[in-house]
Amino acid sequence: MNSQNTYTEQELVALLQQRNEKAFGYLYDNYSGALYGIVNSIVTDKEIANDVLQNVFINIWRKIESYDAMKGRLFTWMLNIARNASIDEIRSKGFRDSQKNQSLTENVDIPGAVTGPAIDDVGLKKVLTKLKGELRVLVDMSYFQGFTHEEISRALNIPLGTVKTRIRSALIQLRTMI
Amino acid sequence: MNTQEYILSGIVESYVLGLASDEERREFEQMCQQYPEVLAARTSFELALEKQAMEHAVHPAPNIKDKIFKQISIGPSAKVISMDTMPVKQSNWLKYAAAACFILLAGSLYYNVSLYTKNKGLKNDYNNTVAKLNGVEKDIQTITGNSNIKMASMKGQEASPASYATVYWDTTSQDVYLMINNMPKPASDKQYQLWAFLDGKPIDMGLIEITEKPLQLYRLKKAQAAQAFAITLEKKGRPDISKPEGTLYVMGKL
Repeated sequence: MNSQNTYTEQELVALLQQRNEKAFGYLYDNYSGALYGIVNSIVTDKEIANDVLQNVFINIWRKIESYDAMKGRLFTWMLNIARNASIDEIRSKGFRDSQKNQSLTENVDIPGAVTGPAIDDVGLKKVLTKLKGELRVLVDMSYFQGFTHEEISRALNIPLGTVKTRIRSALIQLRTMI
Repeated sequence: MNTQEYILSGIVESYVLGLASDEERREFEQMCQQYPEVLAARTSFELALEKQAMEHAVHPAPNIKDKIFKQISIGPSAKVISMDTMPVKQSNWLKYAAAACFILLAGSLYYNVSLYTKNKGLKNDYNNTVAKLNGVEKDIQTITGNSNIKMASMKGQEASPASYATVYWDTTSQDVYLMINNMPKPASDKQYQLWAFLDGKPIDMGLIEITEKPLQLYRLKKAQAAQAFAITLEKKGRPDISKPEGTLYVMGKL
């Protein structure tokens, strides 16, 4: 951690726009963990998540000029870069090669076998698990899998207007849980 | 406009999380400039979200910072990654379909002008193509619209940790839909099979004919009851497909 300096958000943005590497180091030290958390909640593979995180910071560095404080806080902007890069990754990957064998025995102890990676239970994803049934599906599809409202409407055969209202009401519920 | 109602409509969260449409975004940005209370609501949610994300930070390996700094030190003109891959929010097939439509339309217009005697024939071709595209869309339109859809996120198991697939199960109609989010393409003599689990016993839910289309929704056998779902990779042409013999790829409970 960078101990000798703290910046206000305005100072930090100004320095980053001047391509100040020290400020960028500070940004990384302070925010990489939070952004890595969101990347991990979308991209399950650790190595791919590492690549995505790198791209996220390189994009922050390159696109900092386009950051507009009127439209939101710096963290919100970075969070959206991280989410978009992660969704881009899971969507572009398609089929990946991966081998090794493991056999499935006939009797599987469900509770043990299906305990997902711990990553499932952190951050926003954990909050998501508190939502009920369909609202959870909708938020998962839209936020964590990046489907547009139109795509969700088609896939689940729910009218577009209903998709929008339900996602909105899910978000309102999420708001009270954060 | 009643700003309080507007603030409580979910637009604040939608905007901040990047889920609002372009039109909603423009409207919201204007509202923020006009009404301090809307801006205050936005900032308050942003701070809550930031705090939440900071509290649940997952710290990356230390070497990643070095890698990033090595790349940015090359200078701003170096092209390390392509920017235009960033804001992808739509699936590729939609873009391809849109591009295909556009090209067809452009072609159709050209012929209409220069060879208008062939107009009718081309129109038919165009309609046929549109009909085909509609057919493709129907593939993902078939899920019933009631609110009893349960979801199982199936995570990659030891054989393929990066794999990920989702089951949407309509508990009323018992229809089961599968989305392959990310799974390796099987060898030509193998194929995936979906299983439902009830009290630890696997039940065959059908073989999956993988297509190259991304985010394809597969409709499988109906499930009356299930506690979990899984996909295994099996040899093609097994005489008895009622029991899994192959490798477990993904699994997840409801």
